[in-house]
Amino acid sequence: MKIVGILFILLFCFESKSNINFNAKSTTLENGLRLIVVENPRAPVVAQMMWYNFGSNIEQRGKSGLAHFMEHLMFKGTKKFPNSYYSDYLSKIGGSENAFTSYDYTAYYQIFPSQHLEKIIELEADRMNNLTLTKKNVEIEKKVILEERFQRIESNPSAQLDESIRTVLFPNDYYGRPIIGWKHEIENLSYDDVIDFYKENYNPNNAILILSGDIKFKNAKKLVNKYYKSIKPSQKIKLNKLDNPDLKTSTNVELSNENVKQQIWKRIYRTKSYNDSITQSIALDLGMKILAGGTSSLLYEEFVNKKKIFSMVGGFFQGLTKGNGYIYFYAIPNKKVEQFEISDMLDNFIVQAIDEGISEEKLILEKKKYYFDSIYGMDGILKPAEIIGEALTIGLSLDDIENWNDKLDEINLEMVKKELKEFSKNRNFVTGNLKN
Amino acid sequence: MRFIFLFFLLIFKNLDAFEYKNLKTNSGIEFWFVEDKSIPIVSVSFSFRGGSSIDIKDKNGVSNLMTSLLDEGTRNLTSKQFKNEMKMNGMKLSFSTQKDKIDGVFQIISAQAKDGFDLFYEALNHPSFNEVDINRVKRQVISSIKIDESDLSTLASNKFNQHFFNDHVFSNNIKGSEESIKKITRTDLVNFHKRSFVKNNLVIGVAGNINVNKIKKYIEHVFGELKDNQQNYSIKQFKALSVGQKFFEMKTPQSSVLFGHPGLERNNENFFALRIANYILGGGGFQSRLYKNVREKKGLVYSIYSYLLSYENDGVIVGGFQTRNKSVFETIENVKNEWKKLNKRGITKSELDNAKAYFNGSFTRNFTSTLSIARLLQVVQYYELGADYFIKREKIINSLNLEKVNGIISEYFSNEKLFFMIVGEPEKK
Repeated sequence: MKIVGILFILLFCFESKSNINFNAKSTTLENGLRLIVVENPRAPVVAQMMWYNFGSNIEQRGKSGLAHFMEHLMFKGTKKFPNSYYSDYLSKIGGSENAFTSYDYTAYYQIFPSQHLEKIIELEADRMNNLTLTKKNVEIEKKVILEERFQRIESNPSAQLDESIRTVLFPNDYYGRPIIGWKHEIENLSYDDVIDFYKENYNPNNAILILSGDIKFKNAKKLVNKYYKSIKPSQKIKLNKLDNPDLKTSTNVELSNENVKQQIWKRIYRTKSYNDSITQSIALDLGMKILAGGTSSLLYEEFVNKKKIFSMVGGFFQGLTKGNGYIYFYAIPNKKVEQFEISDMLDNFIVQAIDEGISEEKLILEKKKYYFDSIYGMDGILKPAEIIGEALTIGLSLDDIENWNDKLDEINLEMVKKELKEFSKNRNFVTGNLKN
Repeated sequence: MRFIFLFFLLIFKNLDAFEYKNLKTNSGIEFWFVEDKSIPIVSVSFSFRGGSSIDIKDKNGVSNLMTSLLDEGTRNLTSKQFKNEMKMNGMKLSFSTQKDKIDGVFQIISAQAKDGFDLFYEALNHPSFNEVDINRVKRQVISSIKIDESDLSTLASNKFNQHFFNDHVFSNNIKGSEESIKKITRTDLVNFHKRSFVKNNLVIGVAGNINVNKIKKYIEHVFGELKDNQQNYSIKQFKALSVGQKFFEMKTPQSSVLFGHPGLERNNENFFALRIANYILGGGGFQSRLYKNVREKKGLVYSIYSYLLSYENDGVIVGGFQTRNKSVFETIENVKNEWKKLNKRGITKSELDNAKAYFNGSFTRNFTSTLSIARLLQVVQYYELGADYFIKREKIINSLNLEKVNGIISEYFSNEKLFFMIVGEPEKK
């Protein structure tokens, strides 16, 4: 399953904050390809992740879905290794693979027995430059992608509501466009669009290769150099940086569908990101965890335990983004409640909770958990590659990642409260309601 | 994380060197263990036979409700206090009810092992089952049932179970229904807890940074007080699996289709042959015949798959896809044809060789985290695959030749035995 990023991000944000001494070693080839190695010889297995530092963010207007379309086509084969040779080879050695596209990045990964390292490095290098596509490939894959859009969005009212909220919240940039693309625009993507996109962007200077597991940096460097050095760099991606205007209206969107048996209230805020400030973002993240994370948050205590209005309520901050980050809130009422009533209740409570509920004790607890989670983030070989790859492609540095916990240590109650106060004054949000 | 020094050990360099210890606690609880010092974490994977298959009559969902309440407080700690303690110690604890068992995972940062295992003991042996907590979790389960009913693929999966397994206990929804949840009382939960968590239905796998003496002590502490009840929670054979097709209307632009077919129990000597056949048919990611012919060549679906569900005494093959309403029957025809082709012509030598290479090569992926190692140790015991399974496995795979696999395929696979559950608004041909 070659997946789109929306869901992935939701899952990712619960675990990707882990940081830590991966003792990652790094080098950059002359053509601009960055290589990162995390040595971990515990089992004779390697995870390879190829991260391209672009996703749907570089699509021209009218060509939504192109980056994701390209990701699907990257599996089709090359001159030297035609007809899904790469996937077939991987399965023969007992490997596994997948890929995903997000707003800000596109990534491909494989997990495989380490004795096949050289061949896998060769195959990944080969498809950066030598993909061969036919018009027929492109047309059939377009049908697959339309089925994917129908599976993820058109048959899923909750996803349609999210899509709609984002278009209003991000009216002027790519975060308002679905990664998978609008149906009518996917239908019009052509063979030439795909080939141009590939030639322009799939280049070593837009890529970060991460190898994690049973591998030595020295050997990795030698092999990566061997297979990538002949690939010429090309232009760096051009990111047309656009900002969104402040929203002047309060917007409530509603989706009514007869299949919906459970009302769900949601809200998304446009916020800062780790690119703006790592320390402030960690403080905001910790604050959000106290306020709305999991089943011991202030919101949960008030509305699930005490008032019994919702069966679940929560929210989280996701700021590993090149542009704006966002905060996502949701509430699941036990009985039907009007959208505006839920909004009012939560708004009032949040202001009060920030004043009275954010305590030193709670912060210590969340910091502990944050720290322990970073240790769990090291148990495995793919996770370190995911964490490093995501952070680097959105613009953070390897030092930022390795020193993350120093920044965590700096966070105090005042900083958390400051971030939450700022958040409570944020008017850039859109509220949604899913109902029968 | 500058406080932690990593000592990577080369313990799994080759398969023959994969050594686990079969340990026994003072009161006689056996478990399998791998000491892995590469990371300061201990992971415990455990399983109790039973699960939703032993739900109380007319009170479906009791097992799921019971397991959902196990992190909601103990005799000494309220729900909130318990959750805070978990955070304080970097502890993870989760239970999930399956059709045939309750699976559990416990993880703890090594330095916090003492407090962590004690919290684990309290949660497993002395959950509070407070009325307030029960009512809250009931409301949550009911919401989640309603969300499932609104979701095309989950609804299709529940409808499939209901109609495919017929009067077998597996036709029930693990979560139960709004009605059945409301009937469950505190006494039901207390009794079900006692009946589920018994020593003779328990298997445990452990991996991580802890020594033998300590882990024996902790496992004894957590599980030592459980009783034996000598009841057999084995799953009955599937005597009346449905064939043909069934339809449920839902107004959506795509239909979700699930299909089922008889399979084999995990312990059957032909299991691996069936596993290889399924890998070639619909199991192997981007390689399977279903993927190549239905997605890659025709573009009818985004995802199509089949997998084996194998239990102690029986098993099934289950598959699925979603497609636009206009192509539902065309895709079903394609699935039937693949089934027919497999039954008539079997697999080729190169398909067999590739599949064998896959299963031999993929096994080491289990050794990449403490949790995946613990799970592997647990699963091998659960299905009674044998203490020598890690050595035997490669021999079983390598002993399969084309004649044998194709013989088994023609014996087991038949498109006449297929059942299709269609949910959506398919257009008639």
